[in-house]
Amino acid sequence: MTVFKTFWKIVKKYKGTIILYTVMLIAFGGINQIANENETDFVNSKPNVIIVNNDEEKGLTKNLIDYIKNNSNIIDIKNTEEARNDAIFFRDANYIIYIPNGYRNDILKGLNPEIEIKSSGDYQSSLAEMILTRYLKTQSIYNKEIKNETELINTINKTLKKKSIVEISSKLNTDEITKISRFFNFASYSIMAVILYIICLVLYSFNKDIVKKRTIISSMNYKKHNKLILFASSLFALLICILYMILSIILFKESMITTRGLIYLLNTFIFTFTALTLALLVSSLVNSKEAISGIVNVVALGSAFLCGAFIPVEFLPEQVLKISRILPAYWYINSNELLKTTEILNLSTLKPILIDYLVMIIFGIIFIIINNLVTKKKRVS
Amino acid sequence: MNNIIEVKNLTKQYKTLTAVDNLSFNVKEGEILGLLGPNGSGKTTTINCILSLLNYQKGTIKIFGKEMKPDSYDIKSKIGVIFQDVAVFEELTVYDNIDYFCGLYIKDKKKRKEYINDAINLVGLNEFKKFYPKQLSGGLLRRLNIACGIAHKPKLIFLDEPTVAVDPQSRNNILDNIKTLRNQGTTIVYTTHYMEEVEILCDEIIILDKGKILAKGTLDELKEYASIEEKITVEINDLKEEIIEEIKEFKNVDKISYERNILLITYKKGKNNLGELIDYLKSKKVKYNKIFSERPTLNDVFLELTGKELRD
Ligand SMILES: Nc1ncnc2c1ncn2[C@@H]1O[C@H](COP(=O)(O)OP(=O)(O)O)[C@@H](O)[C@H]1O
Ligand SMILES: [Mg+2]
Repeated sequence: MTVFKTFWKIVKKYKGTIILYTVMLIAFGGINQIANENETDFVNSKPNVIIVNNDEEKGLTKNLIDYIKNNSNIIDIKNTEEARNDAIFFRDANYIIYIPNGYRNDILKGLNPEIEIKSSGDYQSSLAEMILTRYLKTQSIYNKEIKNETELINTINKTLKKKSIVEISSKLNTDEITKISRFFNFASYSIMAVILYIICLVLYSFNKDIVKKRTIISSMNYKKHNKLILFASSLFALLICILYMILSIILFKESMITTRGLIYLLNTFIFTFTALTLALLVSSLVNSKEAISGIVNVVALGSAFLCGAFIPVEFLPEQVLKISRILPAYWYINSNELLKTTEILNLSTLKPILIDYLVMIIFGIIFIIINNLVTKKKRVS
Repeated sequence: MNNIIEVKNLTKQYKTLTAVDNLSFNVKEGEILGLLGPNGSGKTTTINCILSLLNYQKGTIKIFGKEMKPDSYDIKSKIGVIFQDVAVFEELTVYDNIDYFCGLYIKDKKKRKEYINDAINLVGLNEFKKFYPKQLSGGLLRRLNIACGIAHKPKLIFLDEPTVAVDPQSRNNILDNIKTLRNQGTTIVYTTHYMEEVEILCDEIIILDKGKILAKGTLDELKEYASIEEKITVEINDLKEEIIEEIKEFKNVDKISYERNILLITYKKGKNNLGELIDYLKSKKVKYNKIFSERPTLNDVFLELTGKELRD
């Protein structure tokens, strides 16, 4: 009990740090966004698509092209494969759709001809994919029964229209989601910094060579002592996580009490776990207070910049985003961004988010394993 | 009296260096044992081995009649340790620091509060209860360090050089505290490289050098090791060479030196050496300022045993 109580006494000494990062989150992740109610969205949600049509632009083929045109930005570039590959590489285009020769006739025969695509692999491209899939699925439902082309086109278009109305009504206000996303993206910085800073400082005090010696020679079982500290650290991380969850509910109110809102909270909980394991690892590695503030700055601030906690991910150079994959914050922010752009939430659309969770958890496990190795090595010497 | 600590053939090697070399000694209940030795002689290593903080290559260690192992929590509960370096939490007040370390042993809140206040009174930190370590002077920090180590009222206390770099007032306070603890029946192991402390404090003394016991016994027993019996110092201006030569011929005189107006004579044995010297100087009409006689110190013993001075 003494150990547990002392843990919180020391945490209390550093409450200034906790307040600082929390105020920053409220100011930059919350208030400034709510104040700019009419701010234009950073995210252009329409993907950039190139259509390569090898069929005659007539009937069903024309209808597909029109549908894509209405739902995305069509990019006009030189009609060579090289130019198109460059466009994908430089992200001028997110998606290329190749309509094969004879497409229209095959549909009318009740077949489902294969449509080749090329994708840049980012969020925008997954939007394009969604648009195309939605059209093709609807078409494949009807082209077996309806043989008249005009009738088929009308039926497809009617269904697609209805469907999108349903979707829009079930969709959250995209502005609000963008704000929530940005709040949590910024929260990645506050969570990482607070948990790293406080846990490292407190554990440093407990593990200072000489204090540790005194604890070891006491009649308290040292293993039990360590378990208590681990428990207190985990509880601290959890409390910070809950604090920021409550903050998000205060700021965004009922928007948070939705499936989407709850998934944001789940993202945050999993990221907190990873931050905790990293903090525990760092605290077994550092041996001075100066080192702690150095590491917090490098890790928390550095990864916040690289992973898009402060600026929208879309503004970050692709090279940077590639590097930032080695940082847990990338996967957390990625999960927030995916959640922002996923229209319909179900198990298959949430799969990419689950992968982000998996990566964050794997990071956590790796940190725990390294930590165990480090402490074992220390004990031997 | 019972042996509280029994150390037999303790040997500790760090890679190639033998820091503690086949040490054997006992500590009796209620006594203060002094481990005296220069820096690097193996005092801290010996204590760390006794406390099972270090693995050692050879030897057996028994405390309170039982073998001491890393998980001997019943033994540990009766031990208090004050390390050479100050071991406290910077984020906690004087009171909370003592509370933490005492709380590792004493679970009962009321009892603990009483114990903490006893410790604070003992070391005289009453006015500083709410202070943080940063606000304390070096001497007061040392006192806090001691309070943290003894608040749980252990039966056996180890103090590792508790007075290094401490102001005279705190040093006296610390030495007084140790005497008080001994008078309460506590057994104490005290390491230092200051022989004066050992002389005024310890019942039993072990002189260590390079991990080996050079000598052990009471203060009087140890002084037997010194080849000299008495040391006389005289302050004389411009002493003539012939007088020095004459004094050299006195019986019992071992060595004589005259430097910077200080005449230093050491005697092997004999009585009334001082009286004879005064009579002689009077008869020669030699004027002197100060004259005094000393018994040999532990430094002389150390000098005799190792051929080098103990002082750093
Ligand atoms: N961890 C260590 N590794 C290697 N050598 C050490 C270590 N600790 C102490 N020593 C060496 O052991 C000898 C005894 O050291 P120590 O017990 O600290 O002496 P004292 O406390 O008497 O000053 C010294 O020569 C010291 O350099
Ligand atoms: Mg030492």
